[in-house]
Amino acid sequence: MINALRAELIKMRSMPGVWVSFGLAFPLTVLIVLAVLASAGGFPGHTFSFVTSVRERRELLGAGYFGIEVLAPVIGVLCVTSEYRHKTMTTSLVLVPVRSRVLLAKVITVAIWAVLLAALSLVAVFLVALPWNAALGGVTSQVTDQIGAVVPGLMASAVLLGLFGLGFGTLVKNQVAAILLTIGGTLVLEGILEVLARAIFHYDLNWLPNAAGAALAGDIARGLGGGGGGNGQSTGLRLLTWWQGGLVMLGWGLVPLTIGYFTTFRRDVT
Amino acid sequence: MTVGTTPRGLPIEIQGLSKHFGPVRAVDDLSFTVEPGRVTGFLGPNGSGKTTTLRMLLGLVHPSAGTATIAGRNYKDLENPTATVGAVLEATSFHPARRARTHLRMAARAGGQLDKRADEVLGLVGLTGDAKRKIGGFSMGMRQRLELATALIGDPDVLILDEPSNGLDPQGIAWLRDFMRYLAGEGRTVLVSSHLLSEMAQTIDDAVIVSFGQLKAQGTLEEITAGITNTVMRARTPEADRLAGVLTQAGIAFRRLGHDEVAMDGVTPEQVGPMLASNQIILYELAQEGGDLESVFLSLTSGLGFGDVAEHP
Repeated sequence: MINALRAELIKMRSMPGVWVSFGLAFPLTVLIVLAVLASAGGFPGHTFSFVTSVRERRELLGAGYFGIEVLAPVIGVLCVTSEYRHKTMTTSLVLVPVRSRVLLAKVITVAIWAVLLAALSLVAVFLVALPWNAALGGVTSQVTDQIGAVVPGLMASAVLLGLFGLGFGTLVKNQVAAILLTIGGTLVLEGILEVLARAIFHYDLNWLPNAAGAALAGDIARGLGGGGGGNGQSTGLRLLTWWQGGLVMLGWGLVPLTIGYFTTFRRDVT
Repeated sequence: MTVGTTPRGLPIEIQGLSKHFGPVRAVDDLSFTVEPGRVTGFLGPNGSGKTTTLRMLLGLVHPSAGTATIAGRNYKDLENPTATVGAVLEATSFHPARRARTHLRMAARAGGQLDKRADEVLGLVGLTGDAKRKIGGFSMGMRQRLELATALIGDPDVLILDEPSNGLDPQGIAWLRDFMRYLAGEGRTVLVSSHLLSEMAQTIDDAVIVSFGQLKAQGTLEEITAGITNTVMRARTPEADRLAGVLTQAGIAFRRLGHDEVAMDGVTPEQVGPMLASNQIILYELAQEGGDLESVFLSLTSGLGFGDVAEHP
């Protein structure tokens, strides 16, 4: 198992798409930092200000969530669909013939890279957001005091969103289609469905991936960092509790992964 | 040239192997064995089930019936697969953005080898200077060499090569031939599929010939070629159509090999020569062939493959 994992880690490391995702995580986080500090100043004054409320502090610390929400599923998708796109699955399964072992190695690999993605977003916060907030007059320790409330949710969201992408990629082998469906589905289609569900059926459609991820991430996803349609603020959606969100996200990762394993992944490689 | 530690010779055993894709029987009750220390050619026309058989042996395709084992075990049940079997299946099976050394390090890690093994096998296949190049920029011949390096990463006892000479230039083919002979000389089991019979005839010790997924012959090269007594007369003429008419009239079986070439089965120069003279057919070339691997192959596989277009009576 360790050998299979070491092989998967080097595969991920040598995939340009993964590094592009990491390259985007930093500027996306900075963009959200900018938005949080601008909104703290109060629109429409357009004056940047240091964060004051607990919620604003958490939003600032979790500014990387938007990037994670988009990029962690992409990393998951890339991990498995690149095997089909470049026909490397043949080599992978010759080197590690037990398919469940290959898939498990991919799950762990995606989890590791998702955590690294979340860590990178935190680095961006520490390098940009905290000094900027301090320069505006804020107290850094008041923000860092929220680490315990923010970081676990951020990390867990990253891992589960990555697994969601991996599961989806196992089901939909076409790389471009899988990425478009994953991102488009969670950020666009999900928002539309939520609005329609509320308007027509007066129903809170809060168990789709983006909304469940937002519930798990907690306060950090409800403000400007939430993105998409699934954050509670933009649609007035009543989110699940954080643990319910976590369980639902786990389902969104494991169910497609399991279906994909028993259908696509175990098929003949011709 | 040193490949690695002393290899063990392990037999490959195919028993009653079948694979059906819907109504298509790609492999049909196939049985044969491959012995260590020898290069065994797995020969058959395109679509005869060679690749499917090799993929079943490697656990990539699930058999409809039968078994394909290495030393009595399924590939996936081997304790250390890459140290037991190395396989070359297709030269396009690479991530184009990955560097050759990175690809091989990935393979080395999958098999529990040290990273330095990647550099060793790069040297073995003559790609040391290209270690840092991205595979996307490799020629087909370089990809074949890299595929072979991947197969050798675990210093395996058994090598399974599917059409390894595809895309290689003449020097590359000669190199591959010597390399396979060297590996078998070390005691390894080498099973190589191909449809390039002229190349195989110079390389293999044993042959397994298949057609339509069924075994047609197995044995040493000498045994197989000795079993065939039919000879073939090949005529090159600008009057191929007229020759075809004459042969049809005389009841002689023939095949058109091209617009100016005809192969006649089971006839001698003494029979054909006077007939051509009496019909005043212009000849550029008249040659007797037979008793070689290609003739055997054509005979056993009903002349399919190698660009043949038709068979007559």
